[in-house]
Amino acid sequence: MASPAARPMPKNCLEMAVHWYVQLNDGDADDNQRQAWQRWVAESPDHARAWARVEKLQRQLHGVPMDLALPVLTQAGVERRLAMKSLLVFAALGFAGLGYEFSPLGADYLSATGQRRQVLLPDGGRLDLNTDTQVDVHYSSSERLITLRHGEVRLLTAPDNLVPVPRPLVVATVHGRVRALGTDFNVRLGEKSTTVTVLEHAVEVRSRLAPDIAQRVSAGEQLQFNARQLRPVRAADLNVSAWSRGMLVAIDWRLGDFIAELSRYRSGHLSCAPQVAELRVSGAFTLDDTDAVLANLTASLPVKLRTFSRYWVRVEA
Amino acid sequence: MSTDNFFPQHSVESLYGEHHGWLQKWLRSRIGNGADAADLAQDTFVRLLTARTAPSIREPRHYLTTIARGLLIDLFRRRAVENAYLEALAARPEAYEENLETRHLILETLIAIDAMLDGFGPRTRHIFLLAQLEELSYVEIGQRLGVSVTTVKNHLSKALLQCLLLVED
Repeated sequence: MASPAARPMPKNCLEMAVHWYVQLNDGDADDNQRQAWQRWVAESPDHARAWARVEKLQRQLHGVPMDLALPVLTQAGVERRLAMKSLLVFAALGFAGLGYEFSPLGADYLSATGQRRQVLLPDGGRLDLNTDTQVDVHYSSSERLITLRHGEVRLLTAPDNLVPVPRPLVVATVHGRVRALGTDFNVRLGEKSTTVTVLEHAVEVRSRLAPDIAQRVSAGEQLQFNARQLRPVRAADLNVSAWSRGMLVAIDWRLGDFIAELSRYRSGHLSCAPQVAELRVSGAFTLDDTDAVLANLTASLPVKLRTFSRYWVRVEA
Repeated sequence: MSTDNFFPQHSVESLYGEHHGWLQKWLRSRIGNGADAADLAQDTFVRLLTARTAPSIREPRHYLTTIARGLLIDLFRRRAVENAYLEALAARPEAYEENLETRHLILETLIAIDAMLDGFGPRTRHIFLLAQLEELSYVEIGQRLGVSVTTVKNHLSKALLQCLLLVED
């Protein structure tokens, strides 16, 4: 048994086992079907293994007094879903206690450079604003619309329990619309395009000028789009949302890119000399003290800072 | 300096020292019960200890809350099954004699089955339970729930496959 058990079970064997089980449990099953099933089990060790799982599952299920199992498992399923809902409520209250703001039904929010803000939406969803961000939140009778005018947001959605028929939740930018499908995602507005990164579940994206084409983006994926077209979906760097925890996470980044990213969080001028732009940077950095991040760079890379003032810094060889 | 080191190296001890209090508060803000929060925080670090991943963790709090969230869901599952079990026992016509060990085994099995059926809607769950536990025929289940035999078979197949994927050899 040791060697076949070490292999992963092929899924199609399990599918066949399910097929046979469902057939044989039908009141109409006849001897021909039973013989065919026995031949199938004998055909290969994987078939036998798959069927052994069916039997094991049956033993497990019938190890419980039947008149208890059915009510318990039916009720437990419902109760747990309710418990998870109350957990979400607690989570929201917990955030509120930690300096979240409650959003009225229509409002505009701004964050300054270097600042992050967290907003609790009317439906219990959570909107995080990254540095230098501007959003409008507008909940109408037909739609929950969040318009990103500048910067970057992360949205953790909540089901719409405020009205009998749930309204779609949409993040719109000048480039198009991202519709949430029960999810946690990050939207960053750039000058030429918008990038959406999905952390949980999925979203649906449409360009502003080509609204008939919809692309689904699932957890772990990223999509860049402008007003005319959607780029292909690709695997996401999930660290893009680290900012909402106050971190910048870089894994083998060019120093030039790293400095450009860091400059979003600083007022004034921050640049990188071309001679050192190709050096590589890895690490997790706190965004609340970018001076310290820059000092750390000089300790770990062959670079120094040329500073004319707090507002003019250049990273050089 | 407030910046993390490049490729920080953690030990479980240092993580515990730095984050245990924070994690307990985090859990407490979610379940509003200090004793459960303390237990879950402790269990989270036990998991961390057995996983041996501590040195390579980049964002300890993110990592810890991911573990803690899973434990929280397990706790809810266990409580839901236990509550439902006690209610079902009370609803029995005659008193049911069981020793603690039997009860423990039954509860563990129920919790395991409940976990296998995670993610299925109420209808799939119901069909699976009727077919497996009440041993009703597909026709009877279809009549009871007002759906076709094909629908019954489809739901049952889906649920069974999920269970078989989770059963160990």
